[in-house]
Amino acid sequence: MSGQHIEQQSARNAGLVLLALLLGGCVNATVDEMTYNEPVAGIGESSVVILGRRHKPDYDTEFDFIECIGDHIHSGDPSIEVINEITFINKFYPWFEPRTAPLQPQTIDQLMQLRPVAERISEMNLEYMIWIDGNTENTESTGSMSCGIGPGVAGCFGFGTWGTESEYEATIWDFTNKVEVGRVSAQTSGQNYMPAVVVPIPIIAPVQGTACDSLGDQLLEYLSAHH
Amino acid sequence: MGVASLVSTIFDLKPSGLARWLLVLCLKLLAAGCATKQVEVEGNFPTPLLDPLPIKLGVIYPSAFAKHEFFDEAKGRAESDWLVKTGEAQVAFWDILFGGMFDEVVHIRDWETVQNRGQELDGVLIPAIADLQYTIPTHTNVKIYEIWMRYEFRLVDIAAIHQQEDGALSFNSDNSLSAWPITAYGKTPTAFLQTDEEAVNLAAVVALRDAGAHFVTSFGATPDVALWLDGIARRGQDAVRSPNEVTRDTEPVTEPTQAPSSAEDETSTGEAQ
Repeated sequence: MSGQHIEQQSARNAGLVLLALLLGGCVNATVDEMTYNEPVAGIGESSVVILGRRHKPDYDTEFDFIECIGDHIHSGDPSIEVINEITFINKFYPWFEPRTAPLQPQTIDQLMQLRPVAERISEMNLEYMIWIDGNTENTESTGSMSCGIGPGVAGCFGFGTWGTESEYEATIWDFTNKVEVGRVSAQTSGQNYMPAVVVPIPIIAPVQGTACDSLGDQLLEYLSAHH
Repeated sequence: MGVASLVSTIFDLKPSGLARWLLVLCLKLLAAGCATKQVEVEGNFPTPLLDPLPIKLGVIYPSAFAKHEFFDEAKGRAESDWLVKTGEAQVAFWDILFGGMFDEVVHIRDWETVQNRGQELDGVLIPAIADLQYTIPTHTNVKIYEIWMRYEFRLVDIAAIHQQEDGALSFNSDNSLSAWPITAYGKTPTAFLQTDEEAVNLAAVVALRDAGAHFVTSFGATPDVALWLDGIARRGQDAVRSPNEVTRDTEPVTEPTQAPSSAEDETSTGEAQ
């Protein structure tokens, strides 16, 4: 009884390891960076907010991607306080909605003329605002798969493949001097596969995750004194 | 160990259990294509970060607004009927927005409120939804859910409000101080494990927030509203002046040559004159 249980447990673990190994595809990444006025001693007690651009008609920068970059920066240097995007947008409603968000650092002055906005920015000790523009999309797909179901049996057979591309650009604004101090971009692409013998097994290329790591590393290098 | 047994071991399902699970899934997918999809819009709306305008504003939410819903009949077998109820969310959202934008907001639900509090109000705002449109990926083949709304806002003097025979309130459009449209747009992309209903709800919440942002940024810039704000600012100034000065300055308010962009701007225009 106990031996059978251990055997089942081992088979399950082996299966999960096999799946985990299969689930990683290959990704190509290209990163460009152009920054200046880097804070040599880091940003100290100041905070930074990372916001996604969502004013374009055909795409939105994903909220989870912004969260991923924030987590990446904070985990790389816990002394950097990254303000949560949704919390920030709600605290400053309606000044950072797609319709009203500033598109140029020069317009920060107009925003700061609003007394409650200026007071809240000051309370937060906000030093840098980073805008991320871009998204991840699936591209061409090929292959075919058919699934069937019958009494006591069901399954799929076939093979499918599709591409994924990410393109993001981060623009760093120095909130104190109201100027742009850098741009970092990351382009990543990868191919995903889905073989199916009874059960479809997706082999997903971590395209968005790689873009997050690439951008996050560059931003961390800019903001942190330890990188 | 065969692939099927490996799979069943991993997912802890017997082959017959897996078949039953797939069958139920297929039946659910088939049923989902026929049923009416219903969304009662829900969301948490933030308080606007503003200095409230020194105005006591009455607000009437007509029942067509407070109980607003939108029904779209399916145009083919592959589509579903859609019922989107926005009324409760509209009232919740605009209550928070007006509460943050004006010094005091009085809800006018009956004639008694008009009689008891009418004299202290600077004006009455009446919102209406003139149009609502939506698209989902099955309509457009684009992986985005969208909601578009057009509001008609009307600002009236309290004297324009009347009671009908059935007790309901109505207003005389001739006494309207201003009427202006506000458009709003909300979209949300498709997401893994997100249903059509959840996505439409999210798009509606984004559209409501956009409507609020549009209202806040265009309110003082609407010419008739700017004139009304000018009048309130002048009355406020007159009230703090000495009675002699007030007597000397009771000239009719002249129209400004250029519409101010906000109430604060217009206050300074008044001082200059």
